[in-house]
Amino acid sequence: MRVLVQFRSSPEVHAATLRGEAMPSFAATTEAPIPGLVIDPAFIPVQVPTPQAAEPGASPYLYSPAVSFSLAPERATYLVRGTLPDDPEGQRAALTEATARPEVVGVFADPAIATCLVCPGDPAAGTDQDVAGLLGVPALAEAGMDGYRVPVAVVDTGINLAHLESKGRDPKFSTRRSWAPAGVATKPGRHPVGHGTMCAYDIGIAAPKATLVDLAVLLSSTPGETAMSGLLSDAVLAYSRLLGIVSGMAAARRSLVVSNSWGMFDPAWDFPVGHPGNYSDNPAHPFNVIVASLEAAGADILFAAGNCGRDCPDGRCRFGAARPICGANSHPSVLSVAGVDTSKHRVGYSSQGPGRLDPAKPDLSAYTHFRGSDVYPADGGTSAACPVAAGVVAAVREQYPASVLSPAELRALLAKTAEDLGGTGFDHDFGWGVVDGRALAAALAGVNRSRRR
Amino acid sequence: MARVMVTLRLDPSQASVPEVLGLLGLAPDEVDPGFGVVPISPAERLYTILVDETAATRIADAPQVEGVFGNPRIEGFGPEAEG
Repeated sequence: MRVLVQFRSSPEVHAATLRGEAMPSFAATTEAPIPGLVIDPAFIPVQVPTPQAAEPGASPYLYSPAVSFSLAPERATYLVRGTLPDDPEGQRAALTEATARPEVVGVFADPAIATCLVCPGDPAAGTDQDVAGLLGVPALAEAGMDGYRVPVAVVDTGINLAHLESKGRDPKFSTRRSWAPAGVATKPGRHPVGHGTMCAYDIGIAAPKATLVDLAVLLSSTPGETAMSGLLSDAVLAYSRLLGIVSGMAAARRSLVVSNSWGMFDPAWDFPVGHPGNYSDNPAHPFNVIVASLEAAGADILFAAGNCGRDCPDGRCRFGAARPICGANSHPSVLSVAGVDTSKHRVGYSSQGPGRLDPAKPDLSAYTHFRGSDVYPADGGTSAACPVAAGVVAAVREQYPASVLSPAELRALLAKTAEDLGGTGFDHDFGWGVVDGRALAAALAGVNRSRRR
Repeated sequence: MARVMVTLRLDPSQASVPEVLGLLGLAPDEVDPGFGVVPISPAERLYTILVDETAATRIADAPQVEGVFGNPRIEGFGPEAEG
């Protein structure tokens, strides 16, 4: 356990502090080492002014009425940094010994601190150009990977091509492969500007030449409380079409990337866990079956991890203490994508693992909460992180179809080349780290060129 | 009435709404014809249909039925304000 230890002044301590000396000379002023307390020798003692109460007998720590502070050597105290044993017995013994020493004023916690995490509604941090740089898009493009002729299905609220063009994007578009549920009045590529258009824009960061396929599942006219919701059966229909598309491709050129920035916010929408009809925890649910089936046929499927992170969850989240990465978002055959900002800090709303179907979720992180499509003030949520990662996958598929590099192999390579964030190796905040196109391109250069498309 | 998904194991020749109605003794208005009989794992000969909840309970023990499953709402992980 990291601690701050406050020592009383002594002439030697004061002189050492003025000289900017670190702990070795300071430690020599104590009677003897405190067993269990390990002082950080790199930490130069910090003089702490001593509060003086305005009135005799009053507490100097109430700060009202106003107190004065003394930096006089005979009154000041000094903070040093150290550690106590983590085991409760050792910790108690060290604390007892330390607080019994006359030269020790107190031992205080030194908790880890971090910059404030990005939360829903916060302004954008950085731009899509920054994200392109962080992803290593030039390295991918230099290796001939920009998504040319790779179909990327956007399972969302529909795409508005005119908006993408107004923002400088010029993606290929497959009307033939696009689809919308019955009752949707608008046509593929001409849906209202919204969430799906943001996702399509963000795919273009790494894969500007990918061929977009518009599956406007969340425009379903089936009952829902908001303008961008549908039922899972709509997604089953969309995936059935994708299964037909990928199965119809020549095996040697098979590639299809599927980007999904949606899921459940409320477990009450599902049968309870343990019920045979449950979706969130049940690999036998038809949607979880068709996801596995589509991946086995050669598709790369990416799902947003969700926006129910512990620090500042989306207001719609109703998971409480339960694991929010559930259903297909936690499927072992998909890449579950968490969100980090352009400073590589986890956004506070990004859902944390473990996942329900596969505990090792999220798989990795991608950038979000930047200014990009201008559909919203920020391309935010794990909704943006997912298509950012999908764009990288699509870029790779231009050169390496599923016959060369299976979806599982590509997921493993993405994990291996990710820039590790958070704890060493995998953790439930960032997965294996943030997707790194530069490292990915370098690793792919080692794949036998004759195996390429 | 709420509809649920029913997973069926079928011979591909049986994978049509009229065939399924006959096999399971379902009335036409108990099945969503727009949804149809959707292949979810061709290799396993698994299909799913969308059926009224009460009808699903009635056919749950039929030999072709692999399970009855929920059809929960889904939503985009986008900004709250849009909703």
